[in-house]
Amino acid sequence: MVRARGLVVLTLAVFVAFACGGNSGGSGSNKGTISIGVDLPESGAAASGGLSTLNGVKFAVQQAGTLSGWTLTIENRDDAVQGSYNEAKGVQNVQDLIANNHVVAMIGPYNSAVAKAEIPITNPVGLTMISPSNTNPCLTKDLPTCSYHPQDLRKGKPNNYFRVVATDDLQGPAAATYLYNTLNVHKLGVLDEKTVFGVGIADAMQAKFTSLGGTAIRDSYDPATTNDWRNYLNKFKDAGATGMYIGGTDDKKACQPRHQFAQVGISAWPYVGGDGIETSQCIDDAQAGAIGLTATTAGADAGQIPSAAATITAFKAAFTGANDYGAYTMSAYDATNIEIQAIKKALADGKDPNKIADFREAVRANVAATSGYAGVLGTTTFDANGDTSAKIISIYSVKDVGAARAAQGDLTCGTKTNDKTLCYVWVTQFDFAKS
Amino acid sequence: MKALASVRQTFAGDIGTAIFSALGIAAIAWIIFLAIQSPTDLFQTLVIGVADGAIFALIALGYTMVYGIIELINFAHGDIFTLGAFLAIPVLGLFGITDTVPFTPAIAGILVATAVIVMILNGLINITIERIAYRPLRNAPRLAPLITAIGMSFCLEGAMFLWKGPFHVIFPDLLPNTQLSFGAYTIGVKDIFVIVAAVILVIFLSLFIARTKLGKAMRATAQDRQAAQLMGINIDRTIAATFFIGAALAGAGGIIYGLYFNTVAFDLGFSAGLVAFTAAVFGGIGNIQGAALGGLIIGIIRALNERYISGSWSDVVIFGILILVLVVRPTGLLGMRVPEK
Repeated sequence: MVRARGLVVLTLAVFVAFACGGNSGGSGSNKGTISIGVDLPESGAAASGGLSTLNGVKFAVQQAGTLSGWTLTIENRDDAVQGSYNEAKGVQNVQDLIANNHVVAMIGPYNSAVAKAEIPITNPVGLTMISPSNTNPCLTKDLPTCSYHPQDLRKGKPNNYFRVVATDDLQGPAAATYLYNTLNVHKLGVLDEKTVFGVGIADAMQAKFTSLGGTAIRDSYDPATTNDWRNYLNKFKDAGATGMYIGGTDDKKACQPRHQFAQVGISAWPYVGGDGIETSQCIDDAQAGAIGLTATTAGADAGQIPSAAATITAFKAAFTGANDYGAYTMSAYDATNIEIQAIKKALADGKDPNKIADFREAVRANVAATSGYAGVLGTTTFDANGDTSAKIISIYSVKDVGAARAAQGDLTCGTKTNDKTLCYVWVTQFDFAKS
Repeated sequence: MKALASVRQTFAGDIGTAIFSALGIAAIAWIIFLAIQSPTDLFQTLVIGVADGAIFALIALGYTMVYGIIELINFAHGDIFTLGAFLAIPVLGLFGITDTVPFTPAIAGILVATAVIVMILNGLINITIERIAYRPLRNAPRLAPLITAIGMSFCLEGAMFLWKGPFHVIFPDLLPNTQLSFGAYTIGVKDIFVIVAAVILVIFLSLFIARTKLGKAMRATAQDRQAAQLMGINIDRTIAATFFIGAALAGAGGIIYGLYFNTVAFDLGFSAGLVAFTAAVFGGIGNIQGAALGGLIIGIIRALNERYISGSWSDVVIFGILILVLVVRPTGLLGMRVPEK
């Protein structure tokens, strides 16, 4: 509570500072303030992801300076409650941002569940949202596996929600391509955990794998009553498989079959799954079998893209803290620049930021029309759903990286004495925009 | 409704027995077919099934003993099993084992010592549970202790959740993963360990009940509590001993499970308990040999199904067979042994 009150005081102070600045410093070409709203989890355990993402927004705004005499600022909100993201807090934040007449567009949220709650609030007023990190396909795509649909979130108005990362439904096809083409696995054991997510991702993977010419042997397990996977593994082995795909998450025991590979004599097989197995728990569960675990995640690893290197260097010169740079910093940087470009165009078209409803709509239309924007993570063109054309899926595999590398803390590693140096490292990426 | 009742009656009678026998023969024929096709595959599958089933059998013993003596379905028993695995981790820590280490003869000694300590601790906890939640309700309507048992199950799960959190707890992998080969047949050292440990415990328990004074008292109490009391048997002590032995076996089962699969979770007991209780009813509740047999059969059915049919249907197949068996033999495979009315 003390912390929250501190935040309120701080926010008020910032308000006062801006208000004074606007009034007293209004000399010359300064026409007033335009703000980009931000909604991210920024406190407690969730802070590490949110704050490093916020830095990407700050960096882009710093570089932009003033826009045709208008001062560009950030209107920042924290959607974490007790250390984890909170949908209700997110809704409260966007209502705040909507009520603020300087806010013309926003960046966020960080979590898909928060986006699901916020879109119905921001859509009627046409406040542009660009998420740097939401990967749930249901937010933009009308898929039969979804429990909710984009048309229900949008209340019939034009789309105001965009994202600069790829979606989870591309993970399965990426894994299939990686298994078939790169690892040369042409016969594959496929196991799912009988959940909507697990069956969905395994189906998507299997469809692509079969279309490439591979053969899949498919089965399911019930996570509540299954403790032993050796019969499944023996069955796959007998059928001539040379690898395995798991449609599941670590909390539904998706990594425990890997632990039994040695007992069945198939330790050399690759074991591939979605981002639900890219966790420390998974490495711990697989124990001695952890090496060779391979996971897909939606989105590019900025550290691997040559064109991003110069920007990352400049960023690290400006933000020098150990945790200032994170997985979504560059996504947020690109997203913010897309909004800034849209604001510039609206100003150039003679739109007046004082007529906030019109100006927000102009920004929204400009963002929706974004085409061929060359950012640091790739070229972005938004489709009608709000999805980016830069459809990159990254692939990570567990390797022994040594104690020194594991201690740097930026990799996902095991937590036990005998698997602490086993970590997920970047292997390759697939760009679905090209295929 | 009347028609339905008569259909049910018909199936419970000779026709039912005929259908059941036919299905049984078909199943045996299928297994023979599998044996001819590839004896090594079948052997491998059966070993896995027997080993997994042996663990269920150890849990099932506790259900069957308690039901046999006070006709209580002790829902907390599955969680007592999980507690065995959870308690073993700090006890192993006392001996300096906190993570996976290679097997040495010294570890065998540590494991035996750990098992003894955990079995005693688990037994004492179960006696406490019996004293708090079941004994005051011994003469209450049957549903009351059933509900307190469910309550104790949630309390134990809650305590283990507070202790270790929602994550999987990694149990040190202390047994050798070596596979022994006999020609084309292979069997893991871990499988042998599980099967041998379970057989020893079941034999020990059977002898204890058949030969000792306390075992005799337990049998007498199970048969007729009041008559046993009139003969000078201390009922409270006998029932407490039953809870102690059941929990000790479940604790041993927990350690064996941990050593075998190396991962435990706070809510493991719910599903494991359900399967074990099913095994106890399958074999004939109240019947020690029946519980062991029920556990083995469920393990084997699951293994055969996962290997040769489809794991998606394991629970459907197991419970489908259970329905068929109970329709024809409502008292279970080896017959119930419960207090006489």
